[in-house]
Amino acid sequence: MTQHVTRSASGSPDRPYDELDISSRAFWSTSADVREKTFSLLRERGTVTWHPPFQEQLLEDPDDYGFWAVTRYDDLVEVTKRHEDFLSGPGILMENLPAELVEAAQSIIGMDPPRHTKMRRLVAAAFTPKQMRRIDDRIQANARMVVDDLEKALERDGGQTDFVAECAELLPMHNINDIMGVPDGQRQQAAHEMKVGTSWNDPEFVGETKEEVLGRLFQAMTFSHGLATSLAGERRENPTEDLISSLAHAEVDGETLTDEEIGAFFVLLTIAGNDTTRQSTTHGLRALTDYPAQRAWLLDDLEERMPDAVEEIVRWATPIMTFRRTAGRDCQLAGQQITEGDKVVMFYSSANRDESRIERPHELDLSRHPNPHISFGGGGIHHCLGNQLARFQLKALFTELLTRLPDLQAGEPELTPGNFLNVVKRMSCWRQS
Amino acid sequence: MKVHIDTTRCTGHGLCEAVAEDIFEVGDDGMAHLLADPDADRRGEVDQAVAECPTRALSASG
Ligand code: HEM
Ligand code: SF4
Repeated sequence: MTQHVTRSASGSPDRPYDELDISSRAFWSTSADVREKTFSLLRERGTVTWHPPFQEQLLEDPDDYGFWAVTRYDDLVEVTKRHEDFLSGPGILMENLPAELVEAAQSIIGMDPPRHTKMRRLVAAAFTPKQMRRIDDRIQANARMVVDDLEKALERDGGQTDFVAECAELLPMHNINDIMGVPDGQRQQAAHEMKVGTSWNDPEFVGETKEEVLGRLFQAMTFSHGLATSLAGERRENPTEDLISSLAHAEVDGETLTDEEIGAFFVLLTIAGNDTTRQSTTHGLRALTDYPAQRAWLLDDLEERMPDAVEEIVRWATPIMTFRRTAGRDCQLAGQQITEGDKVVMFYSSANRDESRIERPHELDLSRHPNPHISFGGGGIHHCLGNQLARFQLKALFTELLTRLPDLQAGEPELTPGNFLNVVKRMSCWRQS
Repeated sequence: MKVHIDTTRCTGHGLCEAVAEDIFEVGDDGMAHLLADPDADRRGEVDQAVAECPTRALSASG
């Protein structure tokens, strides 16, 4: 569903690169704190900077000479809002992946108007604040259930267990699948396949060789599309109240959606709905462990303080580290001449630490208010569809966790290498007392 | 003050609702609706919502 296919190369061989490295695998295998040292230097350049393509990609593109790095807060907001200059259709990842895979996975996040406008409308109503208030009881019940499960796992495993598998990844999985209408059993499989689908830089999930990796990624995509197609088929026969039903019956310009379109929506919602919230919860528990005084402040008035705390946890975690745009025409950005076809990569983690817009950005301050973080995007047409769902879930989960297990501690997070999602693969947890 | 919502542009992001939830609400049709004609003293928030709407669906007059 890419409407604007920009054929121009990204950059040219004679445009000089910035000397700081943000393109190597080594850089993306360090921690966010280490990377921030480089980003802070790039922000000091006072403009956007030009860098070589990400190293040793799955697909090498001979026309790809690099990308502009958007590291400052104001520039990120500007790129986000200038959707006519900076397109999503040509792809939204920093890396090149096979077109068929991208097509099968990105749906609206890789569309530009007018198609984006029409397709986003089909799902908007399912994620409004009004709708979230209606399903809040269900979200809270799911939060109670996953904390029940965590307590059992702690007991089963002798007091120490994996927080990611036993808690963090379960809540968003249940909630997004309740909304979409994916039955228990199948939702676990879909979540697992999409974990594979986003781990293309992690041999543990996808193997070592390019062939293995591509094979495994295609397998994950085929599974998810198959599931979406069969569920949509059932709902065409027997409509229900869920999102798959409304997609199965929706029309755009007088035509119903194809199975491929429904499948791509399903994959996007599964990835966007699972991983990001999981990262926020995990990085959040780690932050509460690293900063006991902040935890104590929150525990003092959980209900009143939770909304601000959630915003700061989402800033701190910055679950999505990068999204890309592609210049649809020649234009200026932060004083630089941008050429049609240039890749422009936004670094959310950097903008969230930009001292010009966030005071004391390196401090976790759960009472921060207002908190103008851009974890959900810089306020453009692709602004996170699930931002209210994420906020409701995080409120429900941290309230439940800190009420029942106020002394829960987190171990060292084990990170998945990559430049897209800030993924914690595993992180042990235990009660202090 | 009169606020106009262009429903051919609005995609229900709710950024307007985040600015002033007692003025704007995204409804079950996935479009923003006015909960009330805002008083003149809410001009600042309305202008902010107009400026922040990513699809330029909002305008205010009077
Ligand atoms: C803390 C959790 C989350 C974070 C940090 C996050 C972050 C983001 C970001 C940065 C964008 C792109 C914004 C832009 O390009 O301007 C986005 C888009 C999106 N998010 Fe989220 N997200 C989260 C949770 C969710 C959830 C729970 C869902 C489930 C529905 C979701 C669904 C989407 C979708 C569908 C888009 C694409 C929207 C479009 O292209 O119009 N997100 N999100
Ligand atoms: S911000 Fe604009 S597009 Fe979004 S809901 Fe409000 S009026 Fe509609």
